[in-house]
Amino acid sequence: MAKQDKLIKDFYNLKVSQLMDKRVWDLPIISVNEDIYHVLAILGGRNHIWVVEDKESKELIGVITEHDVLSILAPKHLPSYILGMPNLSSIQHGTAKTVEDIMSRRVVTCDPDEKIIDALLRMVKYKLRRLPVIKDKKLFGEITLHQLIRKYYQATQYHPIVEDEEG
Amino acid sequence: MITTEIFDILLLLALALIFARFLGYLFNRIKQPAVLGEILAGLILGGIALIFFSGNTFTIFNYQIVFSNLDYSSEEFRLIAEIGILFLLFISGMEIRASKLKKMEKASTLVAIGGVILPLSLGFLTAILMDFSFKESIVIGLILIATSVGVTVRTLLDLNILDTDSSTTILGGAVIDDIIGIILLTFALGIGSLMDAVWIGFRIALFFFIFLYIGLRVIDRILKLSEKIHLPKAFLSISLSIFLLYAFFADKSGIAGIIGAFIAGVIIGQSFESKKIEEDFKTIGYGFFIPIFFVWVGTLLWGGEIESFSSIIEIGIFAVIIIFISIIGKILGCGIFAKIAGFKNKEALQIGVGMVPRLELALIIATAAISKGFITGFHAHQILVATILMVVVTTFITPFLIKATFKK
Repeated sequence: MAKQDKLIKDFYNLKVSQLMDKRVWDLPIISVNEDIYHVLAILGGRNHIWVVEDKESKELIGVITEHDVLSILAPKHLPSYILGMPNLSSIQHGTAKTVEDIMSRRVVTCDPDEKIIDALLRMVKYKLRRLPVIKDKKLFGEITLHQLIRKYYQATQYHPIVEDEEG
Repeated sequence: MITTEIFDILLLLALALIFARFLGYLFNRIKQPAVLGEILAGLILGGIALIFFSGNTFTIFNYQIVFSNLDYSSEEFRLIAEIGILFLLFISGMEIRASKLKKMEKASTLVAIGGVILPLSLGFLTAILMDFSFKESIVIGLILIATSVGVTVRTLLDLNILDTDSSTTILGGAVIDDIIGIILLTFALGIGSLMDAVWIGFRIALFFFIFLYIGLRVIDRILKLSEKIHLPKAFLSISLSIFLLYAFFADKSGIAGIIGAFIAGVIIGQSFESKKIEEDFKTIGYGFFIPIFFVWVGTLLWGGEIESFSSIIEIGIFAVIIIFISIIGKILGCGIFAKIAGFKNKEALQIGVGMVPRLELALIIATAAISKGFITGFHAHQILVATILMVVVTTFITPFLIKATFKK
């Protein structure tokens, strides 16, 4: 077990930038003023979309997950006490029109220079499975639980965790 | 008695929750807000308690049965109810997003203003004419301000017309007039506790400066620190204590605790970390304290000393007048300002009608004024009864009015 122990410690101490998906061009990205049907088109195949100000600048301002779509796809049920602003975005009622109507503005992010252990702890704390990697407010990459699991498993099978400068 | 006095409240609470949920459910089934069912639950429980359970003993065979004293006017029960109001205000503050407020159109703001000015002044003047005191008249005016979005939203959802311009304007307006109502209440209650207007203004300004401005800067850091305490739900505990402290200090500075709770909600709601505790606050609030508040409001109906038949008539006449003003005031006030904002006649009418229902905040303002001792005696009871009747009537008729005006 000592070997496993060493391995997981090494894994924890890696930097986010070493394990993240760097292929920004391949990440699910949408700009804030796009149509809701574009969101549905992407989420039919993906679990999430990063919302950027515009695709040139790639400045991250929100995120849409499957769960956000569930709340506009299912029939609306109002809570019994309504004070303030109820969330009324709904496909049925035509109140979810653009990306902005359903995105969540509070994105939990991580930094390319952070350690993997910190990213993992943040995922636990906020119950998330993916984090965008942000550099100068811009989307720089993403790190998902799937990737981390895969990388760790490969390492236990005597593959190097960090491949030599691949893509 | 075997049971200790303090545990009697457990029975009160259990009955209140059961009745509240059961009647709330029935009201939902007949497409009425659950809140009305909860108030009715209070009315029924209060009646049962008064008539059957005021400490009587019964003897069946050889057993002597001592009923617990069901006293819904007890201070303990009131405390739970008052915490319920604080939760309601805190949660609504937490749901206010600066980004959404900024997006609101001018039309909503105009409609909200129109819907504040006319009902407020009509209510105030009528009350003065009917020989109410200055303070009482202010409360009557304030009660008429805040539209309840809930009733309108439900109807618009049912009719599938949520995406019209009128609907958007109504929803925005209803949020804004709630905020205006809360701010005006702050000033009104301040006037009562201290007669020196400058001093009140200073206190309110100081309170807002310390608790809103500094709050926005400091709270985030306090919350971040509390993250480091690795105990279950420590973060929630710290947020709860911030919320209670705000309510406490607001009350101590003569502003009313509900304002403090609301501001605490706004501040914590803006902080990034609030994501994690929103659900927890709703669980505690919606699951326990808030239904108790509405039940308590229902039991208050038994509270007044009604001496004669003529006093019932007096209450009835006053209620009818208030209800009339509440409906006309919103339809005209919001309608005229909607016209100014550029809506057509028909849309202006739709908007006016959509702004008619009053619910939560009207009850909160009335009970806050009473429990702060701002209004007292028979008039206080009269105002409370009129408020409850207004709430019932406006929420009941609004769906019909909306259906009629939105017909093509």
